[in-house]
Amino acid sequence: MKFIVSSSYLLKQLSAINGVITTNPVVPILENFLFEINDGNLTVTASDLQTSMITELQVEAKEDGSIAIPAKILLETLRNLPEQPVTFSIDSNTYSIEINSDNGRYKLAGENATDFPKIPTVSDGYAVNMSSEVLSRAINNTIFATSNDELRPAMTGVFVKLDETNTTFVATDSHRLIRYRRVDVAADMAHSMIIPRKALTLLKATLPQELTNVNVEFNASNAFFNFNQVKMICRLIDERFPDYDNVIPLDNNNNVVVKKGELLSSLKRIAIYANKTTHQVRLKITGSELMISAEDLDFSNEANERLTCEHDGEDLEIGFNAKFLVEMLGNIDSDEITIKLSAPNKAGIITPNDKDEEEDILMLVMPVMLNNQV
Amino acid sequence: MDAFYASVEQLDNPELRGKPVAVGGNSQRGVVAAASYEARKFGVKSAMPSAKAAKQCPNLIFVQPRFPRYKELSHQIRDVFYEYTDLVEPLSLDEAYLDVTENKIGLNSATLIAKEIKTKIKERTGLIASAGISYNKFLAKTASDMDKPDGLCVILPEEAEAFVAKLPVQRFHGIGKVTAEKMVKAGMFTGKDLRKKSLEDLTLRYGKSGQYYYNICRAIDHRVVQPTRDTKSVSAERTFEDNIYELDDVIEEIDRIARISFERYKRSKAEDGHTITIKIKYGDFQQITRSKTDDPSINDEGTYVQIAKSLFTEQLLNEKGIRLIGVGISNFRKDEEPEPVTQLTLEF
Repeated sequence: MKFIVSSSYLLKQLSAINGVITTNPVVPILENFLFEINDGNLTVTASDLQTSMITELQVEAKEDGSIAIPAKILLETLRNLPEQPVTFSIDSNTYSIEINSDNGRYKLAGENATDFPKIPTVSDGYAVNMSSEVLSRAINNTIFATSNDELRPAMTGVFVKLDETNTTFVATDSHRLIRYRRVDVAADMAHSMIIPRKALTLLKATLPQELTNVNVEFNASNAFFNFNQVKMICRLIDERFPDYDNVIPLDNNNNVVVKKGELLSSLKRIAIYANKTTHQVRLKITGSELMISAEDLDFSNEANERLTCEHDGEDLEIGFNAKFLVEMLGNIDSDEITIKLSAPNKAGIITPNDKDEEEDILMLVMPVMLNNQV
Repeated sequence: MDAFYASVEQLDNPELRGKPVAVGGNSQRGVVAAASYEARKFGVKSAMPSAKAAKQCPNLIFVQPRFPRYKELSHQIRDVFYEYTDLVEPLSLDEAYLDVTENKIGLNSATLIAKEIKTKIKERTGLIASAGISYNKFLAKTASDMDKPDGLCVILPEEAEAFVAKLPVQRFHGIGKVTAEKMVKAGMFTGKDLRKKSLEDLTLRYGKSGQYYYNICRAIDHRVVQPTRDTKSVSAERTFEDNIYELDDVIEEIDRIARISFERYKRSKAEDGHTITIKIKYGDFQQITRSKTDDPSINDEGTYVQIAKSLFTEQLLNEKGIRLIGVGISNFRKDEEPEPVTQLTLEF
């Protein structure tokens, strides 16, 4: 088997899917890219069994064939070659690979392509289309709130719920919860799935900047994302997602409207003085004044700031984890936000005041109980 | 106690008296747990492979250890200690620190107490003990090793500095064989040489132990005698007759040894261990450990064995085979109390 391909073109396509490959995979062959040639069409696959990525490119080839090529060596070679056509010659008996460039000759040992795990294909699938921008906004807005707790696998991914009028993305780590909804993506039947964080992280890194259509297909066990010449297949998390609607309070009537930028930079400064394990900051709302403070008794550190806000409701003092607030506010585009509160031991809700008509963002965060309230 | 296990064997079996005796297995992989003074003349030492000991001393008599009997005698000996003070810190079955500053019989001389204890031990058990007497733990321990067997060595406060200055680094309690070798290579042969080094220098060379070395070469040791020393770890290990190479066999052995180790853990005073460690010694004596810390604490056998087994993975196998496996638990502490400042959780 022999084929010729541009070094930088191949590098670009391989880099798009390389993120899937883990160091020290369960099955050693997964340290390889699977190369398959069919009628001058090269398909490259990378996988960690849970997630697989496939890319296609045109090459000059006279015959069909397949081989598994060690990913790390190949990528490093391509990275260090100036742009030029390179020739791959593969001995189908010994699986040895020879790469020829203008600069010289490189030999490496490949593996039998038939040992590479089979990648699932879509069957009984259901498809929906969305733009790369919508998908990456949905990922960016939710992924940071997913949980690391392997004991509750459902929360280690983002819940996607397709409905006839909208699509909802939900992530939670049980301390905070993000619900991101789009009305411009809908399905003709209700479907839901939990997509693992790793797949979404990879997707986020691979989705093109320019507006591209992403075709999403899924069945009970897998999801398939298709865009440009890249395909991603991931195993879905087969768990029941927590009943998130029930924990979103509807009667938070204590509303605080504040400039997002001011609050965010204030929180970043105050957080420096907060206790290093709880990251607790206090928000004290008195009339139209929002006082933000933190202290770390172990080091005698403390800090206070004052902001003005529009406030509608009783005076209130409530504690939050500053890291959560900073992360959430950092993901909101709006200049102004509304914080909806009810009591110091009840969830707070943050929503942007100006947003696209097609989207709806709700961020919920559980408080950190203040000492004088315990 | 002098050559404790071997002396007990000679005590219980008159035929062994005056003969070179080694307590320990004499199989291919056995080691000498204790050697009688007759055997020591031939260079037989504890921790020496039995095969090597037998070569050095062809008439060496190997005796299987009888730990229940040693324990019984150990208790009799400890009872003698408690007649003088409650501040007894056992180091092993046959060694203990005693703080007799204030003692039950109101005797003002530690040396006299040591003599009485030695006599009582001889009367009640027939065994010979050595004692070291001084004003801190380090000096007392060093003194006890000075003129074994049947020794009684006193280091008086005014002699201490001079004594330590002359002491070769190999004889310092707390300086191991390897460290002592390093010190000798670096030109430090005695306490006097050690004293010339600054605290910074010693800490740089020997890490945390630097501070201890800095103190002991000045005969300073502020450690108190702790009657109840907290158990820091409980473990069990086994050396195999033949090296093992297969994953299934390793897992089976870990299962077996973990259960033995768990038994010990339950019998010990220790509880609420959080870390399980497995130790693997390969055919070439290379040794590795793998450990896992879990919250909450590990107190049931199922979890204990399961964690121990999960620590060994196929990658840890190699062509040299495994000669020894150990399983242990450490990090004993109460589960962390929830912080008074609490992050609330959504109730799903």
